[in-house]
Amino acid sequence: MTVSELALTPAPSMTWRRPQVVFGLLTVLTLLMMVLNVGIGSIPFSPLEIWQVLTGPAENTTISSIIWNLRIPRAIAAVLGGAYLAASGLLLQIYFRNPIVGPYILGISSGATLMVSFVMLTSITVGWTLFTPFISTLAAFAGAYGVMLIVLAIASRVKGGVTLLIVGLMMGYLCGGVTAILTALAEKEKIKGFVLWQLGSFSGFKWDEIGILLVLGGAVLILLFVQSKPLNAFLLGEEYAASMGVNIRRFRLLILLCACALAGMITSMAGPVAFIGMAVPHMARLSFGTSDNRILIPGACLMGGLVASVCDLIARTALSPVELPLSAITAFFGAPIVITLLLKRRVKL
Amino acid sequence: MSTSTTPPVISARALSVGYKNKPVLRGLDFDFEAGHFISLLGPNGAGKTTLLRTLSRHLSPLAGEIRVQGRPLASLRAIDLARIMAVVLTDKIAPPLFTVFEFVALGRYPHTDYLGRMGEIDRSSVVKSLAAVHAADLAHRPFADLSDGERQKVLVARALAQEPQILLLDEPTIHLDLKHRVEVMAILRDLCRSKGITVVASLHDVDVAAKVSDRVALIKDGGLLDWGPPEMVLTPEAVAGLYDFDKAEFNRHLGGIELRGDGDQGRAFVVAGMGSGTLVYRMLAKKGFAIATGVVHTNDLDCYVAQSLGADCTSVPPMEKLNGSALVRATDRMTECDFVIDCGFAVGPMNQANMELLQSALTQGKTVFTLREGGLQSLTESDHNRSIRCDDAIGLLDALDSYSARNALHPKALEA
Repeated sequence: MTVSELALTPAPSMTWRRPQVVFGLLTVLTLLMMVLNVGIGSIPFSPLEIWQVLTGPAENTTISSIIWNLRIPRAIAAVLGGAYLAASGLLLQIYFRNPIVGPYILGISSGATLMVSFVMLTSITVGWTLFTPFISTLAAFAGAYGVMLIVLAIASRVKGGVTLLIVGLMMGYLCGGVTAILTALAEKEKIKGFVLWQLGSFSGFKWDEIGILLVLGGAVLILLFVQSKPLNAFLLGEEYAASMGVNIRRFRLLILLCACALAGMITSMAGPVAFIGMAVPHMARLSFGTSDNRILIPGACLMGGLVASVCDLIARTALSPVELPLSAITAFFGAPIVITLLLKRRVKL
Repeated sequence: MSTSTTPPVISARALSVGYKNKPVLRGLDFDFEAGHFISLLGPNGAGKTTLLRTLSRHLSPLAGEIRVQGRPLASLRAIDLARIMAVVLTDKIAPPLFTVFEFVALGRYPHTDYLGRMGEIDRSSVVKSLAAVHAADLAHRPFADLSDGERQKVLVARALAQEPQILLLDEPTIHLDLKHRVEVMAILRDLCRSKGITVVASLHDVDVAAKVSDRVALIKDGGLLDWGPPEMVLTPEAVAGLYDFDKAEFNRHLGGIELRGDGDQGRAFVVAGMGSGTLVYRMLAKKGFAIATGVVHTNDLDCYVAQSLGADCTSVPPMEKLNGSALVRATDRMTECDFVIDCGFAVGPMNQANMELLQSALTQGKTVFTLREGGLQSLTESDHNRSIRCDDAIGLLDALDSYSARNALHPKALEA
């Protein structure tokens, strides 16, 4: 006994050191990416000019408006978008105990897209204050949650990780089909905006949208962090979690609502963004070397913010002035990661 | 039956369990007493797991009531129940990137604060839990890399970290090799004896259950066939009925299952005694010979094994000298057999008559395989030398094989 106790004492301190280093590194890198995202763009400004705009009094110049109304909101949106999608993916992976799921793969993003297409392409919501971010956010959330419920209903009848993925894919196709019909029927002017939105982009975020994202998403994230203990218990599966004292019914609902809220929020504003929700939780798990959600929730958020910022920078600058679709870049990022995980058998379906 | 004055830890009254109005087990009444090892036995699909899942409150009872420490199970808060009861399930769980220590620490759930932070007490509880399952050396290993046996021990440790008074286990020894099977059962028994934990486990091995359990519940045909101490409940008939045995018998004295042969390969007469015949009987049953044996005392190990294997056993009461009438009966049976095996038992005043039996076998011209050191030279052999000396079990096996081959090729040759 005493020998084993001695052997065990270094464990806690050792497991605490690595997360701290990784947290520090990720924070620095994310901040650096934000700086780059503000500094680099199709119109070149010198660092000095940008510094003056940031620190000086509010002016009504072009440079001031580009920095304050385009680049900074976009840089923040990229970080928030990446963070929320990653958190959503982490939740879904825990919920389904399937490492390959994410909001995009499960069709949640498609559901959100479908509902947003109703708002953007049809005149159903015309009577309501036309196209406010609230309506499309709510629509996205409703779509996400609707698809989630259908996937859940099917998943509860047919067990197995592969089934889940196929169901998600099929839901994606179905929603895509309806969206395509809506697009075919819609007026030309509406289509262009929708198609652009559908490619996914962090551009065009307004400050009030950022505000909504920060307040709502921040609240959800705090709620999640407080729930990281039952989330950890959930890693062993529902029955074990229940046997350890987790109120399963309430908790399941909470996880799914949070996951759909986070993914829906981002999808409504930035369009469907693939792979971040699925790949980033793995990157976080591997770099932090743990499955402990007390570390992973903030960790995956930081990692997601960093990855989304990098992807957005590449999308904007790679073929500047043409802006590449964000989902293309995230796919280049995410697909190889998933394939590598499968090949290395880190992941079992 | 109850001798204890403390109330039962778990009691069920008129309990029906199952899924969505499809009852699997009905009308269950039982009391589990504190510190007992309770085994649920029954064929696959009988409802052992369903019962366990109902006791752990993952399924609601379809009817009736369960009380835990006198309180209705349904009314307990999840967290309070988790401090009383822990479970070990059959699901293969492999959460990634957990060390064994961290994994077991999850079991501290009902005792830690809202963020699950581990204090000194929690840490020492995890260490103690690991030590209780002889797995302290695994603490720093990744959980995902453990072997099946190690994982099962760690799963039990996780349950122990909850500091429960009741431990429910679903098939705790399934998929385990013999070493870990024995080790896990020994660990569970120790938990009962030393910590007073009530262990309720569904088991497949009747023989193991008979040896560790304080109570066994026989579950089959939608209900509880029988319930009580294994010494009372596990009769050969009850076990055969529980599993629909046809060619096997559970022997409560030997504590194991004997597999009978088809008996279509010919008939062997075994002259045995003092345990010398046990292995020979099993070998013959395995090879498909019908067995007759004698003359043995009824308290002889040979007698127990022979009877479980369905042998025609001529016996006399213990401590009695083999007498004439038993010898006559045995000789009659021997005459009907194709060949005779002498197990090489030690000869003393009580069983000297068995040598006469061998003598008459030789006189009758039977083939006699003998494991006796020095063979049967003291006996007069008939014109055809029919005694075949075998050094050991392998020698006997070879001799039997060549005998059957010859017999199959020339079935009449021996009779001629």
